[in-house]
Formats: sequence, C-alpha cells, structure tokens
Amino acid sequence: MRHTRHVVIAAIAAAGMLGVAACGGGGGSAGAAGEKELTVVMWGGEDQKTHVRDAIEPWAKQNNVNLKQDEPSDYAKFQTQVESGKVSWDLVEVEPHFATKACKNGWAEKLDKTKIDTSLVKAELTGECAVPVLEYAFTIGYNSDIYSAENHPRTWAEFFDTQKFPGKRGFWKDATGAIFEAALIADGVAPDQLYPLDLDRAFRKLDTIKQDIVWYDSGAMQQELVSSGETPLIQAWNGRIYRAATAGRPAAQEWNQHILSYDQLVIPHGSENAATAQEWIGWYLSNPEAQAAYSNDTGYGPVSDAAMQYIKPEVAAELPSSTQNAGKRSAIMNYGYWEQNYEDVTQRLEEWRAR
Amino acid sequence: MACQVTVPSTRERVSAHDADPAPAAPRPPRRAGGLLDRWGSLVLPLVAFLLVVFVLPLAFVLAQSFTEPEPGLQNYTDFFGSPVYLDVLANTFRIAGMVTVVTLLLGFPYAYLMTLAGPFWRGVLMVAVLVPFWTSLLIRTFAWVLMLSDTGVINTVLREIGLISEPLPLLRNLTGVLIGMSQVMLPFAVLPMYATMRSVDRRLVQAAEGLGATPLQAFWRVYAPLTAPGVAAATLLVFVSSLGFYVTPALLGGPGDVMIGELIAKQLSGVLRWGFASALAIALLVVTGLLLALVARFVDLRRMLGGAR
Repeated sequence: MRHTRHVVIAAIAAAGMLGVAACGGGGGSAGAAGEKELTVVMWGGEDQKTHVRDAIEPWAKQNNVNLKQDEPSDYAKFQTQVESGKVSWDLVEVEPHFATKACKNGWAEKLDKTKIDTSLVKAELTGECAVPVLEYAFTIGYNSDIYSAENHPRTWAEFFDTQKFPGKRGFWKDATGAIFEAALIADGVAPDQLYPLDLDRAFRKLDTIKQDIVWYDSGAMQQELVSSGETPLIQAWNGRIYRAATAGRPAAQEWNQHILSYDQLVIPHGSENAATAQEWIGWYLSNPEAQAAYSNDTGYGPVSDAAMQYIKPEVAAELPSSTQNAGKRSAIMNYGYWEQNYEDVTQRLEEWRAR
Repeated sequence: MACQVTVPSTRERVSAHDADPAPAAPRPPRRAGGLLDRWGSLVLPLVAFLLVVFVLPLAFVLAQSFTEPEPGLQNYTDFFGSPVYLDVLANTFRIAGMVTVVTLLLGFPYAYLMTLAGPFWRGVLMVAVLVPFWTSLLIRTFAWVLMLSDTGVINTVLREIGLISEPLPLLRNLTGVLIGMSQVMLPFAVLPMYATMRSVDRRLVQAAEGLGATPLQAFWRVYAPLTAPGVAAATLLVFVSSLGFYVTPALLGGPGDVMIGELIAKQLSGVLRWGFASALAIALLVVTGLLLALVARFVDLRRMLGGAR
C-alpha cells in the first residue's frame, strides 16, 4: 500500500516535470520596464544582417529600443501567430503578393499615416498595410570564366537558347521568381502585354529547357551555383551577383531586359509593438541616408529617389534604380496579378516540376 | 524527423504492453486485473505526454483535412484527381525503399565488423558512424552538393587524374538522393543491428560448423536468423524515417525525385493551404500504415522486434 502511494507520487511528479518542460518554452516577451522592443524578421543570412545593421540599429540606439531578430520570414508562421493571438513578430519582410493578401484578411496592421509619410516612396510599391523595403532586379547572371562580357546571353530569348549558350540554367524555386515572365518575354510576348500571364505558353517554353533547369531556394545557393560554374547561367537577384563579384568570385550580370521586383514590410495584426514598428517605418522612409547605406553595401535599390544622391558612383551602376539600368528594364513584377494567382500557379509549378 | 523516429517504436512498445493475446510466447505470470502493474504506472505521464504532443495534433490535422478551407472531401478529391500527387507518393515510397536497401547492405557488414573489432577499433567505427549524425542535416546536405556537383570535389579529382572526361552525373538525380539520404540514415540501420549482433552467442555458429555446416550455411541458417530482429528494426526505422525527408531530395535530387514532404512544406509555408497539406500528410500516414499492416500479415513484426533477447 505504501509502496503504491510512492509510485503514484513519483508518477505525478514526473507528470508535473513534463508539464513544466512543456510550458518552459513560451512567454518572456516583455523587456525591461519601460523599454521599447521590436522584433524584426527578414529573409535571414547576410542580407538581413546588413539591413538591420545599416538601417535599423542606428534608429534603435537613438530611441533606446531593444532590438530582436528572427529569421526567415514564413507565411505559415505569420498566419498562425495572428490567428492564435500570440504574435512575437513586429516587423516582417514579405513578398508583396503576401502583403496584399495579409492586408485583405486582416492579418496585418494598417499603416499609421500620422507616423508614416508614404508620399516619400513610389505609390505603386506601397499598400494599405505595406511599404517597400528594397528594390531588386531579376537579371541574367552568368559565370564570367565560362562566359564573358562579350559573349553571354543578353536577352531572355538567348537565355532560353541552349544551343547557342549551352549549360545548366538556375531558377528560383518560387512562382514569383519571374520564371514565367522571363519565359514569356523569351517566347516573344511584348513586355507590356505580360499580364495576365499566358501560363500554357510559359510552360511550353519552359518545357524546352526543363532538363537544363537547376532550382535554387536561397541567395547563398544562387551564388554557389553560378560561381562554381555548375549553372553557368542563372536568373539572378542582382544584389547576390553584385556581392559575389565584389568578393572576387567569377560572377557577372546582364542588365538588359531585367525584371524589377521589390519586397515589402508588414506589421502582423496584434503585435504588441506595432506602434514602435510604425515609428521605425516612418523614420526609414524619411531617412534616405539609411536606405543608401544599405544599398551601398548590397546592390539592392533604395525605396525613395532622395536616397540616390548618397549612393557611391561605383554602386550606382549595380542598382536597378539608377538611370542607366532603369532604361534596360523590360517589366515590373505585377503583384496585383500575383496576389490573385499565387496559389494556383504555385500548384501548377509544383505539379510541372514533379512530372 | 526526430518525431518520426521515436513514434513508431514507442507505439510498438505501448501496444506490446497492452493485453497481448499472443499465446505462443511463455510469459511471466501477471497479476490479474490491472493493465499495468504499479511500476508500470510510471509510464502514464509518458502516455499522457504522447497524447498531448502527438495524438491530439494528429487528430487536429485529420480534422483539418476535411474542414479547410470548407467542410467536405475537396482536399482528397484534389489529391486523387491529379496523377502528379499519386506519382509523388509512389516516388516517396520507392525512394524510401531504395534507401532502406542501401543502408541495410552497407549497415549489416559494418555492424558485423563492429562486433569483430577490438574495443579501440569498435570505438572508432562507432564514432565514424555517429559523428555525421551529430552535425546539422542542412550542413551535411550542402557538403554533399560540394562533393557531388559537376564541378565538385569528386568529379574534379577524377577528371584531373584522367579517369573521366565528362563529369559523372552524381547530383540532382536519384544517385545524389540515395547517397545523401543513405548517409543520414546509416546510424539508424547500424545501431539496432549492432545491438542484436552483440547479443548473439557466436559459439552457436561454431557449433553449427562443428556439426558439418559450411561457413556460408552456418551464417545463413544460424547467424542470419538470430540477427533478424535487428535487421527488422533497422528496416522499419530507416524506411519510416525516410518517408518524411524533403530537404535532402530537394537539394540533391532532380526533377523526378520530388518527395511528398517537399510538397507538404510548400503547401504550408508557400501557399497556406493547410487543409490540402493535412490531406497529403494523412494520405502518407494511411498508406504507410496499410503497408506495415500488409507486411505484418506475412512477417511477425512484434516477435521480430520484441524477440531480441
């Protein structure tokens, strides 16, 4: 009898310990009394480090904000946090199609226009809940040992021509990775007639190079693929090629027919530090030096025109926003279209890939 | 991945602890009445824990597959309506099966070697199989990319010494997937087989040989059956764990090597189709269950796994 009681007590104690262990992971978001806090989430890696260092930390120091980071942005986590009411992210870098969707579904906070002057940035890159955080371009990246400044594809049609330019092609494993836009331009669709995308035609074009496609899903992998020569040609993010090149690796890019894109920042609905996040956004948009500092380090474009005067001349040639490159643009990603079609096209892309 | 490793084995153990109808094995007499004796009740917190962290979420996933985005069978008709998903599911089982075969073929002699080696070399062999086990899956996979790519270490060396003129296709195809996954899974094959082999009385093999068996006969008719429980445990662990892979096939595989884990992840993080992702997960679970049930009809899994004594 006594024996049994000991066992039962031991069992209860064990259960209690499990309970403690299970609960130990949560909580703990409140900082020191009175101190403001901000948790920033971007795509991670070198880019996030640079962005936070150049454009958020100076502000956080000035305003005595305790800065925290998480990575990478994840839409499923975003949705779960908002719907469960346990929001630990305050400022999240996302693709614009998700920003629009999140805004429509009430997952993102509306911008506070008393703190944020959206007239400082391009209206077409701004939403009710989102501001642009950077501009980037999908360029034709190439390995400069295998191809050269004289001999490399200069158009998407040439990029898809495996006879003239043999070798594997790298593409981003994402429906909004401009793969369809590039395929259609390569197939002769006028860049201003791209949307709504003729997907059947795009897939027919992609079928012609399917065996030569290598997919990447991170910037680091992209740099590795092109500079190792494994995929001598790659549909690249301009900043990644720029940084691989400045690091002395054999990577270069063609700006002709580049496709412009951008990322946005949103504040998850229910974030405790939403007001702080709004303050930073307002500061960032009205602070061209901070934007330019990030651009100078990464090759990604600043979001306001005022920042261009702070860009180093050698970097200007590598930015999508500079006048010499803007003239070579073929199209701008239409995220209105993508907000409507991202799910279906992703489905088709996955099915096409698995076939 | 870790969850998938522990779950099936725990389930086996729990069910083996339930009122077991198997009459063949003589068992120590049990006190009548209780399902568990008093020390057995120490297991109850663990059962409760599993209930909360495994059974409940699973029930939630199951429910979600029928209710998201709207109640009905939509997710399942989508799944069965497209040949692609069935192909990917079949592909998942095919790859898991091949990985199982490769790891058993490599793991069996390896484990056997460990039983023969002295303490020092046994330690070396053990560390060699475990060290990769302790490094991050992602790092290991990227390391394989660097080794296997057309411009990678292996192809460059082979080309430099003139053995090949064109790079061997080792990456972004089935070969790459099998190499990467087999390395990850090898400890799961070696450890259970080694545990079983260590407990085999080698004098039985000597006795068989003394009674006139050739070494091959002694191995096949005495040693192999005695190690069968370890082989069965290894097979089950490796196969079931392999089904859930997606990072490795995504990075090392080619267009035809998509596994269902990758599609599930994409459905969640990419397009937020929770219901469809749940349906994919449930389909994988059900087919795995059916497959194990089918195997159990022909092989007495419980005895093979439990009879390691």
